[in-house]
Amino acid sequence: MTLTAHHVVLPVALPLLVAFLLPLVGRLSDGLARLLAQLTTLAVAVIALLLWPAASDGGALVSAMGGFAAPIGIVFYADKLALMFVVALAVGLLLFRPRREHDSTKVQTLWLLLLAGGSGLVLSGDLFNIFVFYEITAVATYGLGASAHTGAGYGASLRYLLLSALGSAFALLGIALVYAAAGTLNLADLSQLAGERLTGPMGLTAFVLMVLGFGVKAELFPVNTWVPEVYTAAPTRVTAVLAGVVSKLAMVVILRLLVLLFQDPAALGFLLLLGAIGVAAGELAAFRSRDLHRTFAYSSIAQLGLMAVAFSIPGHAGVLAGIAVALHHLVVKPAFFVLADRWRGEIAGLTGAGRTSPLAAGLFVLLSLSIIGIPPLPGFWAKLMLFKAAIDAGGAGNLTAVAIILAATVIEAAYLFRVVGILYGTAPAGRPPLRFTLGELAPGLLLGAVLIAATVSVAPLGDGLTAMAADSADAAAYASRVLPGGN
Amino acid sequence: MKGNARAFASALFLIGLGLMLVTLFEALPFGGAPMQVGQAIAGRALEDTGATNIVSAVLLAYRGLDTLGEVAILFVAATAAGLVLGGAGRAEAQGTPAGFILRAAAALLFPFLLVLGAYIVIHGHLTPGGGFQGGAILAAAFFVPLLAHPASPVNHGVATVVEAFAGAVFVVIGLAGLVGGGAFLVPLLGAGTPGDLFSAGSLPLLYLAIGLKVGSELAGLMARIAAAGDPARQGGKA
Amino acid sequence: MTMDAEMLGKALYAGAVCLVLLGLYGMVVPRNLMRIVLGLVLLESGVNLFLVAAGFRADAAAPILTAPFTAQAAGPLVDPVPQALVLTAIVIGVGVLALGLALVVRVKEAYGTLDTHAVANRMARETGADPAVTAAGARTPGALPVAAGRTAEDAP
Repeated sequence: MTLTAHHVVLPVALPLLVAFLLPLVGRLSDGLARLLAQLTTLAVAVIALLLWPAASDGGALVSAMGGFAAPIGIVFYADKLALMFVVALAVGLLLFRPRREHDSTKVQTLWLLLLAGGSGLVLSGDLFNIFVFYEITAVATYGLGASAHTGAGYGASLRYLLLSALGSAFALLGIALVYAAAGTLNLADLSQLAGERLTGPMGLTAFVLMVLGFGVKAELFPVNTWVPEVYTAAPTRVTAVLAGVVSKLAMVVILRLLVLLFQDPAALGFLLLLGAIGVAAGELAAFRSRDLHRTFAYSSIAQLGLMAVAFSIPGHAGVLAGIAVALHHLVVKPAFFVLADRWRGEIAGLTGAGRTSPLAAGLFVLLSLSIIGIPPLPGFWAKLMLFKAAIDAGGAGNLTAVAIILAATVIEAAYLFRVVGILYGTAPAGRPPLRFTLGELAPGLLLGAVLIAATVSVAPLGDGLTAMAADSADAAAYASRVLPGGN
Repeated sequence: MKGNARAFASALFLIGLGLMLVTLFEALPFGGAPMQVGQAIAGRALEDTGATNIVSAVLLAYRGLDTLGEVAILFVAATAAGLVLGGAGRAEAQGTPAGFILRAAAALLFPFLLVLGAYIVIHGHLTPGGGFQGGAILAAAFFVPLLAHPASPVNHGVATVVEAFAGAVFVVIGLAGLVGGGAFLVPLLGAGTPGDLFSAGSLPLLYLAIGLKVGSELAGLMARIAAAGDPARQGGKA
Repeated sequence: MTMDAEMLGKALYAGAVCLVLLGLYGMVVPRNLMRIVLGLVLLESGVNLFLVAAGFRADAAAPILTAPFTAQAAGPLVDPVPQALVLTAIVIGVGVLALGLALVVRVKEAYGTLDTHAVANRMARETGADPAVTAAGARTPGALPVAAGRTAEDAP
């Protein structure tokens, strides 16, 4: 069967279908349900990859749901950026798949719904539809956040739910404002009306409300207080997926909003401000943390702040830098959380842990060097692109952001090297050594290998990303592909 | 003291926000909605779908994917709540039985709620109502007896089966469009005669699936929360 | 636009603003998690009211056709799209509310209290975090009081 543009709905429809049926399968056998869920996740990754050539030929695959062309119906818009994140999500969910555990089928079901929601989030080209998929993703993560079945897990998840629901209400209010002003929800249609109807205080308010809403999942200041709580209390594989992939999906939505709807300098300035505060506050809090989970949670806030800063720079240079930071963080942070899973508790208690498991410690050093931005690792190129874009764009705000990021990098280096020093210290006698089994470490090692592969092939990767970013930053191309009779 | 300062700051913030919202809303054209899309839909919905309830046409045809997402959200919430509440298949509720009035009325109400719910579900494409509204009434039909007899065991088995198949039917109807070479959720089976019970193609089928799924999900959710909140089980995990 | 429609519009928008503000107050000020959940419900109702009011037209009928079933015979109709959106939003709200209540039940079972300060304090102790760091960390990136970790210093 050959794939057509209409098959872009499969990354959403397929996991939904299987998720609906999974409780029945789970009654027969938990193992069968697990297998089915994992095969579905794999199938979504394969479908997204198969759609890739067509998407890169035509710029994007567009499918109007129900055959009702935009702006009347809902469209799915699959460009390379969206497909890349679908693949990343599916691979991430597969890599950190739930093991045999209590209530395995329910966790698997939520895993599939996370896949469906996340895919829809990046593929959809309709404002309200994005909101619906955002909510599917959000509700699935509330459940997964509590799946450790501890009091702290329930508490963290409840406080996360309340904050996120508050944000969602804001986002919905923003969407309602957009609809009241423009009378349409299609992003392409809105991009053509934006200059006329979404300007001034109205447009800015709508943007701020939506950023505060979608920013909850994108870990943006000030709606990120749930991050350290949930990332500490949730099972590590949930944390790895949330920090690694799901946060970026929300960032992609914010990017689409910026590119298509709000090219207003005030809106860009607002995002720049949130991003810069996120970078500074995140790294400072990470520096003060006393356990690895919290350190990485705060560092994740800072990295998402970097993305926000990058996306707030107009033009495709900023988009490119943001995507590069996102991809780098996507690989590095889940691997960090794999290490944090074994190295729990006070960092000070890890003295000498690196000597007993040299492979893990080596991985930690590699990841640290990359996230700090030591050449030739990919993290360096990502930060370099960000600095270049910001300095080229100029302006006091951008230059201040660069200064903040440089200072934050120093702090980042300080706390990561402090951990490295502790890992290679001399362990006090009489303490049982912490060892990783190979199975535990495998996802981290795989991600480390990806990082090294990216280091080697940085030139072709850069070219590919540049083309992707240029296309994603082109609002006119988006509109002409979605709207009939455009062009 | 600290609490007072916080309440004061919050009140100031809220007043500011209120003023901002009022100013923004003032600028909106109330009563003259732009209807960029709505106008077109109102004009062509009957022709496109055969549904006389245009809201249903929007819900199931033009924005059918939203509705699938909506069904999915209820499903996610039910699954997550089941996970959180331990997902016991059979709650050992031991609440005291309700009074005579509720017990008698529950038995009386059950068939009427069932019929009313079913009516609202299957007429959703013609008159106000539809799968969600009817589904909520169906859920109530099963929940009222539970209120009357809290000690009766809840069997989630049938609900699970209904829920799973109803959800799958929605997606399969959507995927049928893909098999025909069209888009997801293309309306099937022709529009029919407007106003007839059997019209509007696949829309009533979708509503039936939604009604069954929403009904079984809501009933299951309420039963789970009721069982978890039962005093007899309180503190069991503390 | 007639005077009545204008009054109606003002009343609807004023109602929406009041509900939103009441809901926000309920989410920000009380310390009881159950009340915060109820504040959320009010807030969502306000947003939904605004959304459905945005599709209103003064001179138009409900978007449901009656015999003879033609769009022409029906005359102008109000915008059907926001009505469908609100239905979706309400159902989403119900789902989130149900899960939120399930979590409230569990939190109450685990800690025996629904006071935000006490719960945050117990959580910090359980995850083994240094309370001072938790408080500082949550204060740095947190401005929204609803989830800010007021942990160490306000312990009862």
